[in-house]
Amino acid sequence: MRIEKCYFCSGPVYPGHGTMFVRNDCKTFRFCKSKCLKNFKKKRNPRKTRWTKAFRKASGKELTVDNCLEFEKRRNVAVKYQRELWSKAVEAMRKVEGIKRKRQAQFVFNRLKKGKQLEKEEAISEVKKNIHLIKAPHAGKAKVMEEKMVQKLQDVEMGDD
Amino acid sequence: KMALYNFKKIMVVPTSKEFIDITLSKTQRKTPTVVHKHYQIHRIRHFYMRKVKFTQQNYHDRLSQILTDFPKLDDIHPFYADLMNVLYDKDHYKLALGQINIAKNLIDNVSKDYVRLMKYGDSLYRCKQLKRAALGRMCTIMKRQKQSLEYLEQVRQHLSRLPTIDPNTRTLLLCGYPNVGKSSFINKVTRADVEVQPYAFTTKSLFVGHMDYKYLRWQVVDTPGILDHPLEERNTIEMQAITALAHLRSAVLYVMDVSEQCGQTLEQQLELFNNIRPLFANKPLLIVANKCDVKKISELTEEDQKIFADLTAEGISVIETSTLTEEGVMTVKTEACDKLLAHRVDGKMKGKKVHDVLNRLHLAVPAKRDEKARPPFIPEGARIGRKTMEVDAPKQYWDLMNQDEKYDVIPEIWEGHNIADYIDPDIMKNLEDLEKEEELKVKAGEYETDEESEDEEMQEIRQLAKQIREKRKLKIVCSKDKDVHGPRLPRTVKKVERKTLEKEMGDLGLDMTGKDDSHYAVNARRSRSVGVAKKRKREASVVPTSRTRSQSASRPPRDQSGVRDPKMAKQAKKLMKNQQKDMNRQGKKGEADRHVFDLKPKHLFSGKRKSGTNDHR
Repeated sequence: MRIEKCYFCSGPVYPGHGTMFVRNDCKTFRFCKSKCLKNFKKKRNPRKTRWTKAFRKASGKELTVDNCLEFEKRRNVAVKYQRELWSKAVEAMRKVEGIKRKRQAQFVFNRLKKGKQLEKEEAISEVKKNIHLIKAPHAGKAKVMEEKMVQKLQDVEMGDD
Repeated sequence: KMALYNFKKIMVVPTSKEFIDITLSKTQRKTPTVVHKHYQIHRIRHFYMRKVKFTQQNYHDRLSQILTDFPKLDDIHPFYADLMNVLYDKDHYKLALGQINIAKNLIDNVSKDYVRLMKYGDSLYRCKQLKRAALGRMCTIMKRQKQSLEYLEQVRQHLSRLPTIDPNTRTLLLCGYPNVGKSSFINKVTRADVEVQPYAFTTKSLFVGHMDYKYLRWQVVDTPGILDHPLEERNTIEMQAITALAHLRSAVLYVMDVSEQCGQTLEQQLELFNNIRPLFANKPLLIVANKCDVKKISELTEEDQKIFADLTAEGISVIETSTLTEEGVMTVKTEACDKLLAHRVDGKMKGKKVHDVLNRLHLAVPAKRDEKARPPFIPEGARIGRKTMEVDAPKQYWDLMNQDEKYDVIPEIWEGHNIADYIDPDIMKNLEDLEKEEELKVKAGEYETDEESEDEEMQEIRQLAKQIREKRKLKIVCSKDKDVHGPRLPRTVKKVERKTLEKEMGDLGLDMTGKDDSHYAVNARRSRSVGVAKKRKREASVVPTSRTRSQSASRPPRDQSGVRDPKMAKQAKKLMKNQQKDMNRQGKKGEADRHVFDLKPKHLFSGKRKSGTNDHR
């Protein structure tokens, strides 16, 4: 019993779920749900359908090449059961999973860093352009200006005198 | 064996006159009848050719049907073939059918010839004569078949009345001299009702009765009596009995009359028995000493008793019966049936089909190589350990490096991953490498969140940007909400209230207190004061006359008129609000807003009208 991969969206197909299509050249295609099957029948390319994992990997939105991804691989060589090997493998699996998640998160974070920079710049420009919508330009300065003007007039008067 | 039921399904063979009449009238009815001499010649020719061909077709079809319906003596079971030979004479039968076949071919040829000739007929008269000639010839041929057709009709009638004897099933055959009691026996044993009379040859043909024994169906065949003369001198009736004896695989019950009431002595009966002995080869035989109510065997003379003793000594069982008192009838039945069953089983065992089953039941025994006896040996441990055999067997056969791991339950899935994908002999090494790499990365600072805590200025900027965006959105929404009916007037036409102006400017951060002396405030006052002054002048001169004028100032507003106390006012206000709730929820402007935005919503009008309402679908 194993969890297969959906051909279209690369999601997990648990036992008892999904459908399988066998083509005349004996290639089998598994699908996790009818959405994927329908898209397949419409001959859509999973690498161009935005919501699939294939698209995300092909367009560089997710971590593709990494050592931690080499652990989960379908090997065609059968290994005879040894208790210690199996138990070690299970432990290793957990650790690898932790590392994998960390690295994937970091990858995404790095990808989105640029966006943060842009966001900052946009805020600055927004404030520069449209500050008049929330604050009048001489908001707190009216009294000061008045005083200045009074001072000026006085000066002029003084000067006249 | 197309025998049994097809004998009844043979079509009626018409007499030759009938045959001709039927065919000709059919031709007249089923083909077009109108033709004129001014028609085109090909049409006339076609018309007459059609008639000729139609007649030929009919004759051909009916004759072919007769030929196929009547059974071919070679194709049916030899019993029936022989029986038919006896009854109808094989040669005569074959000849008759042969004649029919010839007639059919002749008719075909006639039609072919005349159709060919008709192609050269150049007038209606000529074609018509040709047609007449063709039909005439065909009918003459049929007239000549009168004898054959009559014979075949008789054969058919007799054939359909033959008893349905299955030659392969269990059968008991009764034979013996006439009047010995065969028909009485069959009447007793089965539900058949054969005529029993004191004169000889009451039974003139074969009769079948059915009975049950040991949950099986048995046939009992009653034959006409056989007299003792050689085969060649036998008549048709006796021949039927002989045929039955010869072909049916049955148990033979030779019935003898002990009391000699049939008119034959025991010696004569014995003679007959010995004469037809060859016919009993390979058949279980039983001698039925009938009419023992009149005379028992023990009452017979010594010689006669010896006859029976001899027969018994040969291994043939003799049973005394009386069909009158029913004594011994059941014994005969059971014994005959048992014998026949045993015989049939033996036959089957010797046959080929049994081997198919027997071959699968082979017991392999090792060949002996010396005289030492080697009986099967079952050790004690096996007897005790039989219980352990009941435990789940398959897991014992794994060939693992460590045998005590055989019973482990192997995990397959963890958190959405297949464990089998991770199994690798070098997995620990790879894991170590990976962890080292991870350490290096952490040291290099790749996982630092790198979020420089922004300085206050940046935070303030963000805050302001947020406010700006909100304000913009609000303004856009307000401008969209504006109900612009009619021409767009410039901004200055609308009077700006002092209150709204001061509020807006206050929100923007300006200090709007103490602005009574400001220009806009003064202007506003001035415009009002002028109007007030004018009004006051007017009022001073004119004395108020009507009540409405004097009361106009003192009329209370609508939501206060008639309301006694704040409690009532509250209630009134609540009523007002409640009434407005539905309208507001539906986004209506007011009571009078009955506008329906979508008179025919698609979801109510599309699709088939199955069970459901019109309010929602």
